[in-house]
Amino acid sequence: MSNARPPTRPVRAPSVVKRVASVWVRHWRVYSDTFVANATPAVLEPVFFLLAVGLGVGRFVDTEFAGLDFASFMAPGVLAMTCVYTASFEATYGTWVRLRFQQTYEAMRATPLTVRDIFAGELLWCATKGALFGTIVGLVLLAFGKIVSPYALLIPVFGFVTAMAFGGLALTVTSLVKNMNHFQFYFTIGLTPLVFFSGLMFPVNTLPDALQGLAYALPMFHVIESFRLIISGTNHVTVSWAWACPIVLVVLASFFGWLGVHRMSGRMLK
Amino acid sequence: MTVIDLKNVTRKFGDLTAVRSVSLSMEKGICYALLGPNGAGKTTLSKMIGGVLPRHEGEMRVLGMDPWKMQSEVKAHLGVVMQSDALDDELNVLENLRIYGLFFWLKGRAFRERVAELLEFVSLTGREKMPTQALSGGMKRRLLIARALLSDPEILLLDEPTTGLDPQVRQVIWTTLRKLMEKGMTILLTTHYMEEASQLADRVGILDQGQLITEGSPTELIHRTLPSCVLEFDERESPGDAAVPDGSLVEHHGDRVYVFDDDETALRNWLGEHGISAPHLRQTSLEDVFLKLTGRGLHE
Repeated sequence: MSNARPPTRPVRAPSVVKRVASVWVRHWRVYSDTFVANATPAVLEPVFFLLAVGLGVGRFVDTEFAGLDFASFMAPGVLAMTCVYTASFEATYGTWVRLRFQQTYEAMRATPLTVRDIFAGELLWCATKGALFGTIVGLVLLAFGKIVSPYALLIPVFGFVTAMAFGGLALTVTSLVKNMNHFQFYFTIGLTPLVFFSGLMFPVNTLPDALQGLAYALPMFHVIESFRLIISGTNHVTVSWAWACPIVLVVLASFFGWLGVHRMSGRMLK
Repeated sequence: MTVIDLKNVTRKFGDLTAVRSVSLSMEKGICYALLGPNGAGKTTLSKMIGGVLPRHEGEMRVLGMDPWKMQSEVKAHLGVVMQSDALDDELNVLENLRIYGLFFWLKGRAFRERVAELLEFVSLTGREKMPTQALSGGMKRRLLIARALLSDPEILLLDEPTTGLDPQVRQVIWTTLRKLMEKGMTILLTTHYMEEASQLADRVGILDQGQLITEGSPTELIHRTLPSCVLEFDERESPGDAAVPDGSLVEHHGDRVYVFDDDETALRNWLGEHGISAPHLRQTSLEDVFLKLTGRGLHE
């Protein structure tokens, strides 16, 4: 050991902020080439959804939910779903492709980036996509006349936080699977019921008591109610404590964000 | 100056010990080849030196730093060419280099000039706008070498740099590496091609089942391990191990018999006496050393 001398040049590793940012830039650069193809379904799906509900089934539903017609009631949930699914796909299939097929992380690990830098960048990228697609769908909702509150200007922020929570959760799932097909379980058994029984199509307070409690305990309700708060306004929320939902959302994003980065980093070092 | 210094380094994967108490040191400006059969632990060792994997036991210093605890700093001074062609296929040659440079936070005019210089060095000038998926295997390798050199590294780590390439391309890669060595680049190379090690390496270490079983210059290793000449022939023609000249050493690998002796004339005379039809009399090579030390049969 005694012969080893310090390097001939000064140490010049980039700071952690620059390292994480470089991962984000890489994803942005690779992604921007295929932006139209990627963004099209994310934007068109909610459009079709709102059309089908507004022109179709909505006309047969007389009941008002939270003081709103059916289509208006669903609008915040549709936006929430976009952010949730955008982040979930990115951090499952997207991450898997980079991990197994493109060897992207392998290349990154040969540079000053640590595994934590790589997945922190990944998480930020998920959150960015959530903010971006959320904003685009927000504009669609605006065109449909579904946005009534000026707080809707916060959509990018809420989209970012939502996508961070669900991106972190998806990274945690990715850290566990051995095979890409296992993601099907997460989407079908995990996300789908979460989306549909958390106040997207009907208010949770119309569910039987036991199920209500469950819905309130799960993350999705808080996402949808948060968007309800800033899109439809405080008069059209479904619970009196709706103001607490964005706080829950921030807690979820912090926890799952940390967990996802921690778990994926651990997987890489095995 | 010692740039890489390992003492009793061990790394496990579950129950498997991939690298077992390896000690080695490497001086600046040399090319060191780590040889070993598949699964011997070459890549794992190279990844620990490169700050990609932590070790379980032992001491490591790369450029005077602990390569795991100071991985970002260590990796800022390393250039790595990995086994897989880990390029961004959607992006073109130039963009691949730019994005990779960003991981070192390299940008601006000096960096763009360096990129142009390196593309010229690996003969890819004019292909800047080509998507990397359109490149041939040889071009991809050269691009990976250029990419590894972007940060002007102190040490180049090459993990099986010519595996899967045809002989012409392999020669081109070797020429490129020799040019770097002339400029004083320190290279750590893992390979299972003996010829690659003989062509490039100043020093060779042979890894087998996670252990460094021998180390030295290629000629040193040959002299230390085996007599200088070898007669190689088909097992079906063998007159039996007992019939070889006095003092010769017999080895069997697959269906070939190898008779080693320092006395070439003795081997030639013996050959005349036994009328073997397609013998091959030659100098002992690194490959013979490798087969002798890592044993016959497959390591799987």
